[in-house]
Amino acid sequence: MNFKLKVWRQSDAAAAGEWRTYGVSEIDSGASFLEMLDILNDRLVVEGERPIAFDYDCREGICGSCALTIDGTPHGPRQVTSCQVFMREFTDGSEIIVEPFRASPFKVLCDLVVDRTPFDRIVEAGGYISVDAGPKPEPNATPISPETQQAAMDAAACIGCGACVAACPNGSAMLFTGAKATHLNVLPQGQPERYDRSRAMVEQMDAEGFGGCTNTGECEAVCPQEISISVIGELYRDYRKSMVHVLRSRRGRMKAQ
Amino acid sequence: MPRALPTHDVLVIGAGLAGQRAALAAAAQGVSVGIVSKVHPVRSHSNAAQGGINAALNPGDSWESHAFDTIKGSDYLGDQDAIEIMCREAPEEILHLEHLGVPFHRNEEGKLGTRAFGGASQARTYYVADITGQAIMHVLYEQLMKHSADVERYEEWFCTSLAIDEGNRCVGAVMRNIRNGQMELFTAKNVILASGGNGQVWSPTTNALICTGDGIAMAYRIGAALMDMEMIQYHPTTLAKKGFLITEGARGEGAHLLNAKGERFMERYAPNKMELASRDVVSRAEQTEINEGRGFPDGTVALDITVVPRKRIHEALREIVLVGRDFAGVDITREPIHIKPGNHYTMGGVKTDINGATAVAGLYAAGEVACVSVHGGNRLGANSLLDTLIFGRRAGEHAAARAKRIEHGRPSNQTLEREERMVSEVVGRQHGSGRRVSEIRRELGETMDRHVSVFRDEEGIQTALEIVRRLKEEAASAYVDDRGAVFNQDVLGAIELGFMVDCAECSCVAALERKESRGAQFRTDFPQRDDEEWLKHIDLVPNGGGPEVAYSEVTLTKWEPQERTY
Repeated sequence: MNFKLKVWRQSDAAAAGEWRTYGVSEIDSGASFLEMLDILNDRLVVEGERPIAFDYDCREGICGSCALTIDGTPHGPRQVTSCQVFMREFTDGSEIIVEPFRASPFKVLCDLVVDRTPFDRIVEAGGYISVDAGPKPEPNATPISPETQQAAMDAAACIGCGACVAACPNGSAMLFTGAKATHLNVLPQGQPERYDRSRAMVEQMDAEGFGGCTNTGECEAVCPQEISISVIGELYRDYRKSMVHVLRSRRGRMKAQ
Repeated sequence: MPRALPTHDVLVIGAGLAGQRAALAAAAQGVSVGIVSKVHPVRSHSNAAQGGINAALNPGDSWESHAFDTIKGSDYLGDQDAIEIMCREAPEEILHLEHLGVPFHRNEEGKLGTRAFGGASQARTYYVADITGQAIMHVLYEQLMKHSADVERYEEWFCTSLAIDEGNRCVGAVMRNIRNGQMELFTAKNVILASGGNGQVWSPTTNALICTGDGIAMAYRIGAALMDMEMIQYHPTTLAKKGFLITEGARGEGAHLLNAKGERFMERYAPNKMELASRDVVSRAEQTEINEGRGFPDGTVALDITVVPRKRIHEALREIVLVGRDFAGVDITREPIHIKPGNHYTMGGVKTDINGATAVAGLYAAGEVACVSVHGGNRLGANSLLDTLIFGRRAGEHAAARAKRIEHGRPSNQTLEREERMVSEVVGRQHGSGRRVSEIRRELGETMDRHVSVFRDEEGIQTALEIVRRLKEEAASAYVDDRGAVFNQDVLGAIELGFMVDCAECSCVAALERKESRGAQFRTDFPQRDDEEWLKHIDLVPNGGGPEVAYSEVTLTKWEPQERTY
């Protein structure tokens, strides 16, 4: 198969960046998109051009490294990770546009590689359980219904690839933040910090410059882990309750009599 | 002008489960910790662990039973003191993870549920569908975030070499910042290697492209012994072409293995445990079927998951449904999928004691890079996550305690200059001066897969060793295309290739040395296990050009070697 690739090239974070067009020919229809880029890179280096930088690791859809916007859709049209896109899905001879995950908080570091550390800082703001002291209770003493466990697991399936942000017209990270928060917020061990966590994570999300959610649902449509948009509703609810939580705590704590 | 060096009490290299657990354990002791990874931590290969984590927590189960299964699985090559520790501490670790928010599977009563796994006498594998590794790693990463004030993270830094002082103590490491090519000498009172295995030495493999044996080779180069390097696990169910993994959980849920005639052939090899015999046994059975002409034309046998109820497949094996769909074009809920044994895990590695300490003072290792040895000749499924967490924690605690007792060492002044020269030499290689890295890498992988795999013999291993030694020379002049500083994967690839050929050479030498069949090492020219002669570890230390062989005792506590049947 033959294709014309229009690729975003940017030598480093400070550079301006530009579109470059490359032809690739005699690509096996069974080749993955990343393998096709490997073949192109092999040729580029022979021709003395800098190879195209892109993130990859496991190449089987579990690590969340790869992050290509293909023909305008993060990870391409099939709701999988970029490494699970195959060339047979494209029309022979067509032009394919490849660019990084775009969102202002995700700085382009080089070509198709973006900086996703804003996600880390959202988690750092409160997306964890603090247990440093006390005995660990026997887990079976607190039964968790399979439905609850399933809800936590569905949210925990997030691999932090960032496609939700790149797909959102507002550049919102609500699906990611919602998944991270919901995973912990539905479990018994996540209850004590539930509202503080929700508020802190949303505030950090705002501080990083991510936009707000307006329910367009693009995030859910591209998420390779099939995270449901309902996690955003969960997060909103907890975030709203956290306001009341703050007001209550301002009234003063219970005093010893 | 002298640069300020990044300095830590404990420097952890690698940020998968073992590395993150070690960093957290060290930070809990109040020492300064740095953690370095050549990828973003949550991209580490621990992610790929699907099936679960073993612990004797169920009523009626006992750590002794877990230990015995592990020892039997190891074909009696595992060190029983270490195995006892791992199995005894396993339940506590599960509770710890559960407490941190890992959503382990719950049954209808809301209690923790387990699944059956290969080589285990009871169902004691705790799991999060088939994304157990991912779920645990993301939760540990959250904890690392919580400790971000105490743990300095260096993401996308590549370690080129460990630094030693005049007394041959490990006192730091040289790193290259992948984002801009800058080289730095990190000093540390202790270094913990948690950089994973070397699956990429084989092709195909279930391992990610980052599993290039960096830590194994770096430790070996500064004189830490490697142990059990001949013990390479071939996983029974990998997709034919690219080696993608189908979790053992599939067989744990009841899937059958069928040959081309539709026979459930495990009846002949392991009449009791059938598909859930230990991995070396199942892989050999499959390979025998394939070699004797009862496989499919593409050199595979079939895994029939359709016998598992569809609802259960979607609940417990959902990642596998996607892998089948995307990479093999097969709906596993409706038809069998073709599989074969494929490279999966390095049982051997840097020899450590029960606290992760290696022969080199100040150097620790934990996880797949290390060989404690809890896996011996064959690792049981769902024991690897356990290994990373238990020995990651122990290494972190021990290294932190040591850091409190000692002063910082002084790496030799030339260390950084030497590594900078090495990198500029690699970058400066002229076009046409040698073969390309990718070419050598491919030949290495294919050679090892042909000769040092499920069945081995002297002739084959000898052939492999000769090829590996030639490739080692070629690797030293392998030419790279990219001369840039930002995200130059080419230079890293050349350095990784150097690590890989060292690992390959050690595996060949050890496989040649062990003239018996035990666990993953099956020698067609020595098909029996020989406890008289070979109930011992093979240790390798560098001597001039190649590894020098020594032996060490296997620690037996209360389980005498018996005949091994499933």
